[in-house]
Amino acid sequence: MNRRLSTRGRRELTKPAVYAGLVVIVALLPLFFGSPYIQHMLILTFIYIIAAVSFRTIVISGQFPLAHAAFMGIGAYLAAMASKWLGLSPWITIPLSALVTAGIGMLIGYPFSRLRALYYAMGSLFFGIGVIQIIYAGGSWTGGYSGLTGIPALLPGTISKIPYYYFFLGLALVSIIALYRIEFSRIGTNLKAIAQSHVVASSVGINESGYRILAVGVGCFFVGLAGAGYTHYNMVLSCSSFNFMATLWLVMYVLIGGINSFAGPIIGTIILIIIPEFFRDLKMFSPFVTAAILGIVVYLMPQGLVSLPQMVRSRLTERRNTKKVSHAS
Amino acid sequence: MELIIATLTNLLILSSMYILVALGFAFLFSMLGILNLAHGVIYMLGGYIGLTLITALGLNQWLALLLTTLIVATFGIFLEKYCFRPFVGDFNRIVMICVVITVVLQTGVNIIAGTQILSLPPFAEGIFKIGPASVSYERIVTFAIGAVLLLAVTWFVNRTKWGQQMQAISQDLEGAYLQGINVHRISALATFIGCGLAAIAGCLMGAYLCLGPFMGDFMLVKVLMLTIIAGVGSIGGIFIAGLILGSLDSVLPLLVSGAASNATAIAILVVLLLIRPQGFFGHEVEL
Amino acid sequence: MVNVLLEVENITVHYGKSIAIQDVSLEVAEGSVVSIIGANGAGKSTILRALSGLTPLTSGEIRFAGSRINGKSATEIVTLGIVHIPEGRHLFPYLSVLSNLKLGASLRKDKAGINKDLEEVYKLFPILRGRRNQKAGTLSGGEQQMLAIGRGLMAKPKLLLMDEPSVGLAPIVIEQLGEVIKDINKRGVSVLLVEQNVHLALGVASMGYALQVGRVVLQGDIATIRSSNIVKKAYLGG
Repeated sequence: MNRRLSTRGRRELTKPAVYAGLVVIVALLPLFFGSPYIQHMLILTFIYIIAAVSFRTIVISGQFPLAHAAFMGIGAYLAAMASKWLGLSPWITIPLSALVTAGIGMLIGYPFSRLRALYYAMGSLFFGIGVIQIIYAGGSWTGGYSGLTGIPALLPGTISKIPYYYFFLGLALVSIIALYRIEFSRIGTNLKAIAQSHVVASSVGINESGYRILAVGVGCFFVGLAGAGYTHYNMVLSCSSFNFMATLWLVMYVLIGGINSFAGPIIGTIILIIIPEFFRDLKMFSPFVTAAILGIVVYLMPQGLVSLPQMVRSRLTERRNTKKVSHAS
Repeated sequence: MELIIATLTNLLILSSMYILVALGFAFLFSMLGILNLAHGVIYMLGGYIGLTLITALGLNQWLALLLTTLIVATFGIFLEKYCFRPFVGDFNRIVMICVVITVVLQTGVNIIAGTQILSLPPFAEGIFKIGPASVSYERIVTFAIGAVLLLAVTWFVNRTKWGQQMQAISQDLEGAYLQGINVHRISALATFIGCGLAAIAGCLMGAYLCLGPFMGDFMLVKVLMLTIIAGVGSIGGIFIAGLILGSLDSVLPLLVSGAASNATAIAILVVLLLIRPQGFFGHEVEL
Repeated sequence: MVNVLLEVENITVHYGKSIAIQDVSLEVAEGSVVSIIGANGAGKSTILRALSGLTPLTSGEIRFAGSRINGKSATEIVTLGIVHIPEGRHLFPYLSVLSNLKLGASLRKDKAGINKDLEEVYKLFPILRGRRNQKAGTLSGGEQQMLAIGRGLMAKPKLLLMDEPSVGLAPIVIEQLGEVIKDINKRGVSVLLVEQNVHLALGVASMGYALQVGRVVLQGDIATIRSSNIVKKAYLGG
């Protein structure tokens, strides 16, 4: 008993140190990888980590949103149009469009909050498709089918990717910490209570639809932030980055990492973006690598990649135990 | 006149094809609660296998259609056994395995056939004329096949022993087990039929419109809409919802252009869903 | 000596890590009605679910007509002649009464026999004949229970497992139910009845078992059960 307590205490101390170490390593990566392409992939990873983690924030309230990439698109197109047509600085359009995305999300979340489970998923899916169609129908304002070009850059004049790298690393860290604090605050507890049983939650006085809408607002704010940041980094937008399939990929990032754990979406995003890059030489065949990763997780790791250490540990103790048994006999 | 007939036939064809594909999806969904997001690529696969049998092997079109149906339906049995059955009740893993199937099939088709737009040769040629009106035989044949199949499926589900067992499973799974119904065999049968129907629709639409590796995504969205609007467990509901969708997709483009008509259609559907979250004709299921 | 139709020997069932029933043994003689009584959560339903192959055993053995049946699928068990009428009836609510009855005969191939048994069910429950084209979900509670029993009989059972048939029924309907069970038994079907309604359970059975938190605490012929202190105190009001 005593020993267990002490190891737990040690783990409490080592955890923050490990995270700080990881951040330092990630911050030093550009020193080892000078290739702009690798830096570009890492920047995208940061952006999609924000999207994936914020997706999970909505999920913990018991809603499964299938419009998350579309909300990323809303943030992206709002920022693009505000800077391109109204001449606003990216430093204003990024927070502004995140806020507006959150507002739109909550406005839509209100009627949707009475849909349950699968019907919510389907309703949001249709909404997401509708958003894409509206962007297509926007003509020269949104660039329609051909996409929007000539969007002002966040850091004009820099050719190097490194400033962007640190900007998005910072943005991702801030978003992760904020969403972590929300999840493990009272708000997060109430959200999880609603997801467990909406009847019980409302009987103890939790305003169910209010919290559901709040979760959508928070999720949409951060995904809008990711979308707007992406806009001023990429400077070119195309609708297909935000369609139904894009949402489904976000869902994959979250599920493959493990939807029941905060770290799941982060790990899942990293794995699904980085690993296939090692197989770029396969060209047309490279999607098979992604499919293989997904297949392995589906069949062997029901709780996602985060359960891997736990699985290895229990396998090892099992082996040790069987050894003991065979010794005894 | 020409426009009215063209719109009307287009409406009937689109509706019947949507319903054909949606039936297979609805079977799995109502019986085992499986949200088969791979149903769209199965439809796409049907079109490409049909094309391959006709152009590469030089088979007769009708024979190719029959063979395609059998191949894809058998593939469905494989999917049910190894990809769906192990994960029944686990929404997350079903979604993941469906994405795996989608990626594998789309990439496979991409590698073999390329991304260019292809199409199957028409199943009938010539134009049918009555007085001032004229319709191409192709449209008539496409709709006729769709209609006959839909009637056959309705008959099967309502009048045969297996069809009744399918309904029993979707209405009360435990009750079905206790009657001794072999749930595994019947779900395999339902997947066989569902994938076969999707394959036929893939071939017909591949001739009526065209083939592309991503045609399945488009159809999947239609199928999801249709099933949700119809509600779970109602075949009649699927027919009506199919007609609604087909009408929206064939009539709206006449009134508003391109993407705006799609956006309008979606807006109408979202409003319908918000009015009746459990669908219009079925009963709500908890997932 | 009467033949033993069903022998349950020391069965234990777990749901996850918690134990539902432990070391339960019981017997049903051919042609008899046996009742299992016990409070909610005592594990009565679990015994029936184990018998019909819905829930796997942790240990123990079940023999039917002399041969082992645990580990067999629900389909195989119905084929052998064990039919389970579940608590809550589990009818097919959107199918007609007739379709429900015919689905009870899912595993049978003898058309003539099926039609004959259909007539028998209609004779036993004349109300069902009048409602044969109505959807099962629209029937009253009592009618639904009749339909559930009728559907069970359509499988031509040798042993009928009935789980709480009296739940939600009016007292007068419960009395009819008792007569129906006796009637079914007279036609040569053995019955294993799980009931909270002790009057019904003891009224129709010749043997009884009392279950408490997953264990058999009392067994014997009906007179013994009726006179035992446990049952008197717990159910018969003194």
